[in-house]
Amino acid sequence: MGGATAALDYDAELMLRVKGGDGASFGVLLDKHRSAVVRFLYRMVQHQAEAEELAQEVFLRVYRSRSTYEPTAKFTTWLFRIATHLALNALRDGKNERFQERLDDHAEDIGVRQVEDRRPSVEQAMVRQAALEEVRQAVAQLPEKQRAAVLMHKYEEMEYSQIAKVLSCSESAVKSLLFRAYETLRARLAHMA
Amino acid sequence: MKCPLEDRENREILLAYGSRARNGSDTELESHLQTCPACREFVRGQRAVWQALEEWEAEPVSADFDRRLFARIERETPWWRRAGGFRLVLFRALPITAAAALAVVGVVLEWPTPHRVQPRPPAAQVEGLRPDEVVQALDEMEVLNQFNRSIKADSAAPRM
Repeated sequence: MGGATAALDYDAELMLRVKGGDGASFGVLLDKHRSAVVRFLYRMVQHQAEAEELAQEVFLRVYRSRSTYEPTAKFTTWLFRIATHLALNALRDGKNERFQERLDDHAEDIGVRQVEDRRPSVEQAMVRQAALEEVRQAVAQLPEKQRAAVLMHKYEEMEYSQIAKVLSCSESAVKSLLFRAYETLRARLAHMA
Repeated sequence: MKCPLEDRENREILLAYGSRARNGSDTELESHLQTCPACREFVRGQRAVWQALEEWEAEPVSADFDRRLFARIERETPWWRRAGGFRLVLFRALPITAAAALAVVGVVLEWPTPHRVQPRPPAAQVEGLRPDEVVQALDEMEVLNQFNRSIKADSAAPRM
């Protein structure tokens, strides 16, 4: 998190330009990180609309913080720290429960529609859908911090050190979180091989 | 090689091998895997998990995501901040603004109006004087001052 790291971080440079009043640089940052933030939040709360709402809040907070921004950490570390904080709060508040209910309804709708279509791939699609549902349930049942660690490790390809900074814990704590999380996932998903 | 499963510090090697590092570069670990069924099972399970997670694709972001975000930013920005933004633009364009303002003032002043009062000529045309004329005038003033002083001295002295 030293100055050297920050000096190499182009995103931090862009954020400093935003701080200086350059709105276009905020657009560049948004373009660059929008998808990663939304997909991380989607897999955290498991609902697209809720994920986008939270992602909006993430970027809004980034924009609001522009005047006090200091590049003391990698920009993505800061970004994902905000995203994780919001996701954990949303999960604790149970804000996504109503969305989850709608999602379940939606999943049922998809099943019905596929059966009605009577396409040759219906069976395959249903098997795939069931497998995906199993993966989603397995991830959803992980403790929140383990879930966040797995998602950053697997999908965002973050190093242990960066995940540690995002979650504000030690690297060894992250290794421990990941080991336990994958242990749980192996118990639930290993049969899918 | 010590079994990674029995070594708390090195078990992430096994995790990494079952996740990303599948290029077979870790020959030491591979040798160990051939003799350790527990580690083999661990790697097999980890690869299954990795593959299962791979299948879980995220949905694309809504097309109006940016529009909604910028609308929220706009709503949150108070009017005086927006005015501040306008002032900033004005400040950046200050040289152009100043030049334009001067041009407008110039045109207004030079515009012929029927009721304009002609300016009176200045009492002293200083611009019209040559340097030698100025020097001469100063010399004359000095002479006059000396003359005044001598007259005052004479009048102040007791009369006989």
